[in-house]
Amino acid sequence: MPFISQIKRQTDYNLFPSSTPIVIDNGASYFRIGWAGETGTLVSFSATLFRDLATKPLFEIMEYILDFGFDRIGANGTEIDHPVLITECVCNPVHSRSKMAELLFETYGVPSVAFGVDAAFSYKYNQQYGICNKDGLAICPGFSTTHVIPFVEGEPVYRGSCRTNIGGYHITDYLKQLLSLKHPQHMARLTWEKVEDLKMEHCYIATDYFLEAQLFQKGTKEAEDKTRCWQLPWVPPPTEEPPSEEEIARKAAIKERQGQRLREMAEAKRSSRINELENELHGLEFLLQQLAQVEENDIPAFLSDTGYVSRQEIEASLAKVTQSLRKAKGEPKVEQAEIEKTDVSTNEKYPLINIPDNMLSPEQLKEKRRQVFLKTTTEGRQRAKQKRVEEGLEQERKNQQDEERRLENPELYLEQMRAKYKELSEKIDQRKRLKTNGSQTNGNNASGGVGRGERLNAAQRERMRLLTTAAFDRGKGEDTFGARDEDWQLYKLMSKDNDDDDDGADADETELARISARLQDIDPTFVPKHESAPSQSAAEIPRARPLTKEDFQIVLGVERFRCPEILFRPNWIGIDQVGLDEMAGVSIRRLPSNDEDLEQRLTSSILMTGGCCLFPGMSERLEAGIRMIRPCGAPIKVVRALDPVLDAWRGASLYCC
Amino acid sequence: MEAEVIEAELVLPTYMSFKKIQMYEKYPKGQSRGRHWKHLKQILQAENYQNYPPDEPNYVNIESPPSMHPCKRICDITGFEAPYYDPRTNLRYANAEVFKLVRSLPNEYVQRYLALRNAAVVLK
Repeated sequence: MPFISQIKRQTDYNLFPSSTPIVIDNGASYFRIGWAGETGTLVSFSATLFRDLATKPLFEIMEYILDFGFDRIGANGTEIDHPVLITECVCNPVHSRSKMAELLFETYGVPSVAFGVDAAFSYKYNQQYGICNKDGLAICPGFSTTHVIPFVEGEPVYRGSCRTNIGGYHITDYLKQLLSLKHPQHMARLTWEKVEDLKMEHCYIATDYFLEAQLFQKGTKEAEDKTRCWQLPWVPPPTEEPPSEEEIARKAAIKERQGQRLREMAEAKRSSRINELENELHGLEFLLQQLAQVEENDIPAFLSDTGYVSRQEIEASLAKVTQSLRKAKGEPKVEQAEIEKTDVSTNEKYPLINIPDNMLSPEQLKEKRRQVFLKTTTEGRQRAKQKRVEEGLEQERKNQQDEERRLENPELYLEQMRAKYKELSEKIDQRKRLKTNGSQTNGNNASGGVGRGERLNAAQRERMRLLTTAAFDRGKGEDTFGARDEDWQLYKLMSKDNDDDDDGADADETELARISARLQDIDPTFVPKHESAPSQSAAEIPRARPLTKEDFQIVLGVERFRCPEILFRPNWIGIDQVGLDEMAGVSIRRLPSNDEDLEQRLTSSILMTGGCCLFPGMSERLEAGIRMIRPCGAPIKVVRALDPVLDAWRGASLYCC
Repeated sequence: MEAEVIEAELVLPTYMSFKKIQMYEKYPKGQSRGRHWKHLKQILQAENYQNYPPDEPNYVNIESPPSMHPCKRICDITGFEAPYYDPRTNLRYANAEVFKLVRSLPNEYVQRYLALRNAAVVLK
């Protein structure tokens, strides 16, 4: 379907006598130039090739185009000494026409110029071939404008013509914009030329736009078949090959070696420490033995060298070293025994506790305080341990009861558990929602959710109320704020930390975790709900996801018929004019005579010409549209030109003969 | 591409034997030519159509009138029939799913969608 450019330089220029006219179809998108009467070879090329020059004045571009055209038909004399017939649009302003004439006469030395309307040439050409009658309508959707021209008795009636400023350019532009909005990451790929190709290859006109759109909205099979997909070049990322057996073995060996080394190091360290501790132990034991032989009074003097103050201190450090040694050797701790021992020996260990303060010297007082502290912490530790043990027992008992209940009536039990799970999870969800509501309603509102009618939770609302009352209280009577102590409580209420009251939440969550764990044990069908809210995770996933083949596809669905539809509904792209179907009605109304017969003759020979007629479904749609604006039972016949793209040039060429 | 261009002889010589005035004579290089072309509006004004009889066709009066048909609205994003309209973004939308998308669109995209039907906010 795409137009074919034919730009080979012709060599037969000199064979034509200077009376043979050169015919030029100066279309907005395509330029065709050739010899009158000759329907074979002609040069045609896209005028948009010269779009790079768009910053230059129109007639300078026109000159480049004409240069190229004349060059291609092989002009080689000192001037173009052939008459020229060139097409123009309906009611071309005199200024444009005179500029064109000026260019042809003065620059190219053309002996004579004739102007004609392209759509009229096309109609006349098709009339010759019996495609349309002598009375009829020519509908010509072009590149930037669409014209309708009525023909009466084989003559165009320009006062009945009308123009809507919409054409193929708008369709391509619309498609380009829509696709680049849909696939912003591939915007660079959507060049004008590519989109033009996509348009010509895939666009069609729906007989009823909204019915067709509904197919796509419902996602039917038919719509799926109608969806086109343009796969952009995409190289799949290299897949990670699973490591070979050898590799695995090698890695394991390395790991093993490293582990071995670490173990050896730890072992060496341990043995050296044991050695050290044993030496210390021996030293201390030796010291004690010596001490036993020393007189009571000589002890301080004896000990002054060793750094110890009393026998007790030596014994304490001896005990400490023994324990460290035991730990280093990996022997089990004998805590339980120790506890009992401490029970027995509380009085021995803390001899000063029960002696009143006034009987002690300052040093002994200090010692006593230390002992009291030690005792309380030890007792506290024991109590905590006791509590843990009790809790464990309690849990055990609860589990046992649970188990018993389950064994009694498994179904009922399961049911109850499920109900409880549901209730709890809903409760927690609710709380979460309340807490997060307003701060993440949508991405548009990054400012934190206050304002613009976003919903706040109860606590936030209360805070806002307090703040506003505080703000607007000023100047209302006497300011007594701060007179009472309760006034200052207000700040506490206003503060942001106020609204996180998680007291009940934690207990609920632990209970929920317990129940879900239990359910997982006994119910094979149970699937625990995921913690994170789905909306959050959905927002996170696309960023981390590796790109797939689908990310490099440009999908043409509704766009396929949405874009050409603007020919019938220009107001969809903001052009407030009638579409193709209504234009026919406008044209008929603009004709001076109110002749019913003529109107019927006109509508029974409607010719579509111009590049945009190539969309499939065009004639059906046009017929349906015109049927709606014509009286019931009026004859309507829509035909497509023999060659909508070239007929204007052919008609013009024939006209010269 | 380059080879194709050369083969197709798309590059024109600067001198054309069949021209009376060459391009370089008409538009000498390095000389600012100013803006000496007219916009369509200026052209049309210069045509003085108001001096002609009104039933004579001209460029201005053959223009089509606005449509008389009731205008059916389509969703700016999907192209489906759009019963709804979002007052915040001014976009029309087809259903709740599209609405979610509409609300998550950055403003730049909203404006581009609006520009498609010539309804974008234009800052002058």
